[in-house]
Amino acid sequence: MPSLPPDYAYKNAWFNTPNRKPNNTLFAYQQLEQTSCLTTNAEKNPKLEEVRVEMADMKVESRPVELITSVGSCVAICLHDSISKCGGLAHIMLPNSANALQEPLPFKFANTAVPALAKAIRGISRKNAPLSAKIAGGANMFANLGTNHLDIGAKNIKAVKAALVEQKIRLAGEDVGGVYGRRVTFNVASGIASVKCFNGEVKKL
Amino acid sequence: MNKQINIDAANESDCVETSKLSNDQEIDLDILLELGSIGAGHAATSLSDVIQQPVSIDVPKIHNLKAHMIPKFYNKHDVPTIGVNLQLMESNGCDILLMFELSEAKKIAAMMAMLSSIEELDPSTETSAINELANILIGSFLTAISDFIGITLLPTTPQSAVDTFDALLDSFLIKQSLLSESTLIFETRFKRQGEDAKCILMIFPSPELKEQLTQKSRVLFDV
Repeated sequence: MPSLPPDYAYKNAWFNTPNRKPNNTLFAYQQLEQTSCLTTNAEKNPKLEEVRVEMADMKVESRPVELITSVGSCVAICLHDSISKCGGLAHIMLPNSANALQEPLPFKFANTAVPALAKAIRGISRKNAPLSAKIAGGANMFANLGTNHLDIGAKNIKAVKAALVEQKIRLAGEDVGGVYGRRVTFNVASGIASVKCFNGEVKKL
Repeated sequence: MNKQINIDAANESDCVETSKLSNDQEIDLDILLELGSIGAGHAATSLSDVIQQPVSIDVPKIHNLKAHMIPKFYNKHDVPTIGVNLQLMESNGCDILLMFELSEAKKIAAMMAMLSSIEELDPSTETSAINELANILIGSFLTAISDFIGITLLPTTPQSAVDTFDALLDSFLIKQSLLSESTLIFETRFKRQGEDAKCILMIFPSPELKEQLTQKSRVLFDV
């Protein structure tokens, strides 16, 4: 368990049932587990390989890499299978493929990207694997672009959420809206998406 | 006339290749490039007047790419950038975007505010200096074109935002991808003496504006 938080082993251990009282041996075991977690974290997590996802594209990985992309009004959709430790990231541009120009680009549109990404992840993990989703983006960068009719960021967010509900994928975290761009770094192994805003603020989803 | 279309991205299968364009379309692109060159020359002169330094321009280019290919094409994903956006009045969907790298913008703003160092610059002065610069630059660009072909082109007030290159660009690309299948970008890079090109002027002409400009110029150039 290289990248779990230190208290993970204790909270999720098989012995941690409500009826069971902790005793000394178990306590010693927990201590050991915690320290070993900490050391492996430092040793085994140097710098992960970074894979950039381009606009209207997606990447699915089972290796422990970081998928990165930069979004403004676009939305980055991170789907993660926590059991197989694989996941994928899609960078969508537009909410709906129906009223746009027809192009063979499933990852450009929210309503086609979510099913396609889920299918691609289940293709490398297993069929019907439960997925969780994290989304970021959908900002409105220039106020006069989006005042009246074309707040595409908000439309994108709405469409992505609708598509996730339709695919029965749980939304585990989001950082959307606002007036600033985001750099999304999605750790495929742990499922943690860290969102870095331009002012240096980092949010972990 | 210097024509350069898709030279960097010639191998990309998604790009609209020049060979696929009809003769008429090529002439249209030539005309737009020629108009742009006239405008860019004027803009460079006014930029050099403002910052009191010689400014050179790269040969203007026209790129005809699919909207989603453009961030990859520029490959400046996370470079901190200040972007100033103006739109053309009476021409829905024509965006003008002036992008400075943040470090370059600070230097230019300090020069415009007559400050000796970048440290003295406060953010509001910087923003208003850059907005003003965009006004001057784009104003002279449009005036040159207007004078030449006799169409009045008026920009809206400038609006600036500071963010990464990709984040600034993507709202425009989304808008363009709604309007047409491939995006036409007119691009000029300004260089200060001895520096890299850190300022890019991008114009996304809307189909109507393109039509209007080429119609008028065809008469003028007699093609």
